[in-house]
Amino acid sequence: MHKRILLGDEAVAKGAIDAGISGAYAYPGTPSTEIFEFIHRTSQQEALGIHASWSSNEKVAYEEALGMSYAGKRALVSFKHVGLNVAADPFMNSAVSGVYGGVVVAVADDPSMHSSQNEQDSRFYAAFAQIPCFEPSDQQQAYSMVREAFDLSEKYQTPVMLRLVTRLAHSRSIVTTSEPRPQNRANYCPDFSSWTLLPPNARKGFELLLDKQAYFRKISEEHESNRLVINGVGRPGIVASGIARGYVEETLSEKLGDYNVLFVGFYPAPVQKLARLVECSSEIRVFEDGFPFLEKAITSDGLNRNVSVKGKLSGYLSRSGELTPDAVKAALGVSVQPGLMIEGVKEVLRPRPPVLCDGCPHGDTYQAIRKATQDYGEVRVLGDIGCYTLGYYTPYDSVHACICMGASISMASGVSHAGIRPVLCVIGDSTFTHSGLTPLLDAVRENTDMTVLIMDNSIVAMTGGQPTMVTDENLVDMISGIGLDRAHIRVIRPLARNLDQNVKTIQEELDYPGLSVIISRRECVTYYKEIKTAQRAREGEEQ
Amino acid sequence: MKHDVLLCGVGGQGILSIAYVLDNCALDSGLFLKQPEVHGMAQRGGAVHAHVRVSDQPICSDLLPLGSADLLLSLEPLEALRYLEYLSPETGWVVSDITPFTNIANYPETGSLDDILLRLPRTILFNGSLLARKAGSPKAQNIVALGVASARFPYPAELFEKHIATLFSAKSERLVNINLNAFKLGKVASTFHGRLLDGGVSPALAMALVCSLDFNPWAVPDSVTEAWLGFLKKAEADRVVRQIFNSRQVLGIDESVPEKLAAGEA
Repeated sequence: MHKRILLGDEAVAKGAIDAGISGAYAYPGTPSTEIFEFIHRTSQQEALGIHASWSSNEKVAYEEALGMSYAGKRALVSFKHVGLNVAADPFMNSAVSGVYGGVVVAVADDPSMHSSQNEQDSRFYAAFAQIPCFEPSDQQQAYSMVREAFDLSEKYQTPVMLRLVTRLAHSRSIVTTSEPRPQNRANYCPDFSSWTLLPPNARKGFELLLDKQAYFRKISEEHESNRLVINGVGRPGIVASGIARGYVEETLSEKLGDYNVLFVGFYPAPVQKLARLVECSSEIRVFEDGFPFLEKAITSDGLNRNVSVKGKLSGYLSRSGELTPDAVKAALGVSVQPGLMIEGVKEVLRPRPPVLCDGCPHGDTYQAIRKATQDYGEVRVLGDIGCYTLGYYTPYDSVHACICMGASISMASGVSHAGIRPVLCVIGDSTFTHSGLTPLLDAVRENTDMTVLIMDNSIVAMTGGQPTMVTDENLVDMISGIGLDRAHIRVIRPLARNLDQNVKTIQEELDYPGLSVIISRRECVTYYKEIKTAQRAREGEEQ
Repeated sequence: MKHDVLLCGVGGQGILSIAYVLDNCALDSGLFLKQPEVHGMAQRGGAVHAHVRVSDQPICSDLLPLGSADLLLSLEPLEALRYLEYLSPETGWVVSDITPFTNIANYPETGSLDDILLRLPRTILFNGSLLARKAGSPKAQNIVALGVASARFPYPAELFEKHIATLFSAKSERLVNINLNAFKLGKVASTFHGRLLDGGVSPALAMALVCSLDFNPWAVPDSVTEAWLGFLKKAEADRVVRQIFNSRQVLGIDESVPEKLAAGEA
C-alpha cells in the first residue's frame, strides 16, 4: 500500500504495471498519451522488463498487443478515441478470436473536442464488439479497474475496454496502490484454431462470444461499481456513469438521499438494475459524459418513454460538449453561481487560441507555400493532423482540409483524379508514417499529378515530443524505396533566408505533371533538445 | 476545510509546475486532492488553466463549479479576467501577475486592463517579470506567483520550499536557488501588501505600489514600511503612485524613496 499523486492516465498505467503486463503499445494522442509515457518511464527507471515502445499507428499497436497475448503475456493498448477507429479491424476481430494473455484496451474519449476532430463515445465500440467495458469515476477506480479488467480478460479470454474521458485522464489525485504481481511466462496459447479466423473457426468464435454475453451481463448486475440505491418508491431516479457520478454527488451532497440512484461503471449495462430503477422511480435523469449511451438503452433509442426519462436525447442536457458540474447543477435545479462580475471585463476579453511557437519551421513552410501558390489561382492545400493544422489560421491561411490521420495524401489524390491542377497537400513526418505511406504508394503506382509536402520536424510535437519513426535522409530513402524518382523528391530547409529558393522549388514541382514529394526539413524548435539527444543516440548505434 | 484554486496563464508559462508544488503540499499534509489540467493543443501558446481542489474530506468532482474558487492565481493579467467567473464573488481572492503575454494581435491596451484590475476586490497584483529577473531568471515568474499566493494556502513556507527544491533539483542547484529566491520575493511582496492594507491604504493604491517596488528576497524592515505608510497618507500619493504604476516605473524600496517622493523630489 502506497499513496502517490497520479493523473487519471497514470493511474491506468500504474494499474497495468501492477497487474503484471509485459507489453505496452500505443500511438500518442491527447488525452491518452500519458498512459504509455508513464509505463515507458517507470519500466526504464525500475527495470521492470516491460516492452514499451511507440507503435507506428493504433492498428499496429493493437496487433502487437494481440501477439503478446497469443504468447501468453498481458498487454495494455492505449490511444485516443479516434485511434480506435484506426485499430477497429483487429479490435473487432479480437472479440471473435478471443485472447490468451490478458488484453486491456484503454481508450480516452475527448468530449468537447479539447484536442480532437470529433466527439466519440467508445462505449458504443465495446457494445459493438460485445466485450466488457469499465468506466471509472475517479483515479482510484481507474487504478483498480485495470487489474480487474486483466483478470476478466484472462478468465473469459476476451479483450476488455477501459473507457476514460479527458477530465479524468488529465486530472491528478492521490491514489493508493497495491502490491504488484509478476508477469506471465511466455507460452503459446494451446489452441491456435480460434486465432485463425477462417470462416469455420470464426463462426465457432462468434458463437462463443455470444455465449460469453450471459456471463458479462451477470457480472454487470453484481458489479460493485454498478450500485443501485432505492431510497423510496415513487421518488425521482438518477443514473450517473463514470465521471458524472462525482458531479452528481457534489451537486446533491446529502440530498442524494431524496433520489433513487444507479451509478454505472461496468458494461454491458446492468439492465435488471436499470429496470428496477425505472420501476421504482417517478422519472429518470441520466448523466453521462459523452453520448447518451445509457439513455438510449433505457428508452430503446428514444422510442419508449412510458416513464419520463431526461438526458441528452430528450434535450434535458446538451447533446454536444462535455458534461460539467455546472450543467449537472442547472439540470438538478441547483442554482449556478455567477462568479465575480466586474464591469468592463467582457469588453476587454479576447480569445487566445493556440498558435505555432516562435520560430516554428511550419511558419516558414507556410509562408513559402503562400508565396509559391499566389499566381496559380485558387490552390487548396489538403492538410493533416498535427501542430501544422494551425496553418489554417491567419496569418498562414494555408490549410484547407483536415479530416483524419493520413487523409491529406489520399484526398489530394482524389482532387487530382477530379482534374484540378495544381494539387498540393501537407503532412507531418509522424502522421506520414502513421498512415500517409499507403496512400503515397497508390500515388506512386499511377504517378498521380500532385505535390506532397512532408513537414519533417523530427518529432511528434503536438502530443508532447514523442520520438518519430522515420526522419531526415531515412525518409528520403523510404520514399525513394517505394518507387518515386529521386529527381522529384526535393528537400528544402524552411528558413526566412531560403524563402525565394523554397518558393522556386515548390513551383517547379507544382508545374511538374506527375507525383513529387517535397520534404521541408527543420527540427521542431520546442523539442530541439530532445531531437538532438535522439540523433546522438542513433549515431551511437550506427557506430 | 476545503480550498479550491483556479490557476491560469498561457501555455508554456509553467502552470503545471505550480500545480506540482501545490499537489505535493496537499499530499504531505494528508489532505484529499483533485487537480485537473489542460494538455495538448492549447499548450501551444493558448489560454490554459488548472484547478487545484484540496479538502480534509473526500472530493467528488474533479472540476470546480463556477463562482466557487477561493483563489484565482494568474500568471497573466488578461487570463485573470478570463476566469473571474470561477471566483467566489463574496470571498474569493485574486493573485495576478501584471506582465502581459502578448502573443495575439488584438491584445487589449495595458491601460484598459489596469482599470479593471485595480477595481477588483480582494486582489494582490505583482510585477512577476521584475521579481523573476531579480531572482535570477525571467522563467521563474511562475514561482514568484506561488510566493505571492503562498499565504493563502494552509501550508508553511518550508513545505513549499521543499517541493520547489525537488521540482528543480533534477535540473541544477542554480535553478533551485533561483526559484527559492523567486518564492521569497513573491512572499515578501504579498506580506508588504498586507501591511499596507493593515495600515489603512486603499486597495487600489496598495496594488499599484506593490507592482512598482523592487523588493529584496528578505522581509521589508518595519522602519521602511512605516516610511511608505507615511508617504501614502499624503493627498498626492494616489496620483503619484498611479502615475508610476501606469508608466511601469520601478522604485527602490528603501526608506529614502518614500521620503523623496513625499518631498516631491522623485
